Amino acid sequence: MKRENYRQGASDAKTPAESGSGPILFFWRLGVPGALAVTLVFGCAAPAALAPSAPAPLPPPMVAAIDTTPKERRRMMPPEVYLRAYLGWFGGLAPLDVQAKARGKNMFDSWDDYLAALGLPDYKVDLPRQSQSNTLMIATLGRLGEALCVRAAEHDLHGKTPAAARVVFAFQPVAAPDDAQFAERFDVLHRLFLGYPVRLAPSDRAAHFFALYRAVAAQHAGKKGPLTPDETAWAAVCTALVQHPEAELY
Amino acid sequence: MKRRTFLHVLGGSAAAVALRKPLWAAANSPAASDDFFIFIHAAGGWDVTLWSDPRNERRGLVEPASSENTDTAPLTHWKGTKLDGDVDTFEILAPRDVPMRFGPGIGALYDLRSRLTVVNGLAMATVSHPDGTAFSATGRHLQGGRAPASSVDVAIANELGTSQLLPDVAVQFPSSYVGDHLDRRAVPLRVANAATVAKSLARGEAYFDPSDRTAITALVTAEAHALAKRSTFPETYERIASQTGAVQQLLDDKLEAAFTQKALQERYPQFDYKAKNFGGAALGAAFTVEAMQRNLVRCVGFAIGGFDTHNQNYKQQAHTQQELFGVVATLVDLLDRTPHPTRQGKKLADHAHILVFSDFCRTPQINLSGGRDHYPNNSALVISPRFVAGRTFGKTDVEQVLPADAGVAFAGGARPLAPPDLLATFLHAFDIDPARYLRDGEVVQEMLA
Repeated sequence: MKRENYRQGASDAKTPAESGSGPILFFWRLGVPGALAVTLVFGCAAPAALAPSAPAPLPPPMVAAIDTTPKERRRMMPPEVYLRAYLGWFGGLAPLDVQAKARGKNMFDSWDDYLAALGLPDYKVDLPRQSQSNTLMIATLGRLGEALCVRAAEHDLHGKTPAAARVVFAFQPVAAPDDAQFAERFDVLHRLFLGYPVRLAPSDRAAHFFALYRAVAAQHAGKKGPLTPDETAWAAVCTALVQHPEAELY
Repeated sequence: MKRRTFLHVLGGSAAAVALRKPLWAAANSPAASDDFFIFIHAAGGWDVTLWSDPRNERRGLVEPASSENTDTAPLTHWKGTKLDGDVDTFEILAPRDVPMRFGPGIGALYDLRSRLTVVNGLAMATVSHPDGTAFSATGRHLQGGRAPASSVDVAIANELGTSQLLPDVAVQFPSSYVGDHLDRRAVPLRVANAATVAKSLARGEAYFDPSDRTAITALVTAEAHALAKRSTFPETYERIASQTGAVQQLLDDKLEAAFTQKALQERYPQFDYKAKNFGGAALGAAFTVEAMQRNLVRCVGFAIGGFDTHNQNYKQQAHTQQELFGVVATLVDLLDRTPHPTRQGKKLADHAHILVFSDFCRTPQINLSGGRDHYPNNSALVISPRFVAGRTFGKTDVEQVLPADAGVAFAGGARPLAPPDLLATFLHAFDIDPARYLRDGEVVQEMLA
């Protein structure tokens, strides 16, 4: 029944000429060439003029307030991270290299002696990792930092190592530097150990370190030692930076 | 009430709650503010039937120590008595002057019996070394492998020790520091060996003078203080400043020379530094006396191993105990003779308090390997002028050596003693509120002098 209706509907269909009127009938009667001609004539006509209007103001942007205040107190880094930073600062050393480099002249012994004191787990005696810094940990890190800074001064400054091969003191040292000369060289160490230029630090920091430099250099002036007074003073600046609170916390 | 008045009252109440700890400390600390505390961990689990809870007959599960399973030759207090055929066991030491009974493992400490407080039948509810150790030291079982509470030495260092340069030194002692409410200066200095303290403080003299180090430390300390002023959370920087300052004081006093292994051994030849299990502990004990007479510490903890005797090494258990108590007796003797650093005319022993504990005890029966395994009972030893001396508290089941009703009027009814009770009593003895550090445990007034 359905199919019959479908067929009947198809046979009843009319052409536009037979059934329609209006624009379709108009184009139908013109034929294809005529329709093209009409389209071209109207398509190439001058565009209709648009009246200018004042621009509507843009909607205000969405403002998402970002709270950048610190949410948590600074913490001591895990000891492995801290030691890794130490080894990186002093030329990407392996732990056993450090041990070999730092030993001698009562500067350092072996890692085994200090595992628990540094906060690392000591599985030999079943001591777990430590979660808080303590006085002894600060003392041990100070001992290690002092040893590495002195060795770096020996290598970079006292050994007349070419500038490109220097590890920590990557600058040309001058004897008895003035404020500007010190600040320029201190910036190199500040960037290395604290990770940012000294001009972004509290304004009196360079002056405080310069005071340390001068005090140590004066203390060693005229004394015979393994390092010159200026080299010893740079080693002292390095030792203070490596123990700086900003180097120990994150 | 006006709104402003109400807010004043409310603010005052809040401040009182916030200041509870300092007020508590201020109210109570003078009582024991210059006392010293020694904590000793007998690591591995000791056999209490050899010293504090002696058994010398076969009864129920109990197979006593005998000449078959124990090396009796080095034992100074082993007096044989017939057990079975040719096999001897020991005579229980039952002195007339105090109502106490001891096994032969007590060794030299037997002579100090009138100063001992023994706690028997401590319910451990564990036979795991780490768990038993944590339970004995903190009063809590481990959670996820971690101690959920601070240990007793940290609690005391927090209350009474923050003015010391080294409030809490832990030489292989199971100290734990848990929580944000404690003073950071009470963080235990955990080291593997007492000589490490000297090594950490040692500084070479070839490059820097002491004055150089003073200048370096002063600069670092000043930087920490300056950063604290600029910081939202100044306490971390202040902690670094205080720790750096403390290091400088330790360096100034040239303490590394006093704490080297050689210096300690020469100064305190009374200890046997070559003993198989006790060389390190002897050094820890010597460090304890030296650090206390210099008034540097408040608490020192150290561990003595060699008690985990599952097999034939059980033969040495009694001897190991004798050596342990020998170290304790020598320590007490030194404390008796050393002047107190701040109290005129007093000796260290007058204000020193010793707590000795273990992980748990060992089974009453001998296993197939000739040793004893882990068992959830325990004993502890206190030597303190604040405790009733010459007494034994708590008891165990006669046939199983398991904790029995201690005869103490606990709030929840009759039950055995447990480590939290002992720790609560210990803290209470020094006017420290146990509830600040312990979730469980009741103060046993009978133990207190």
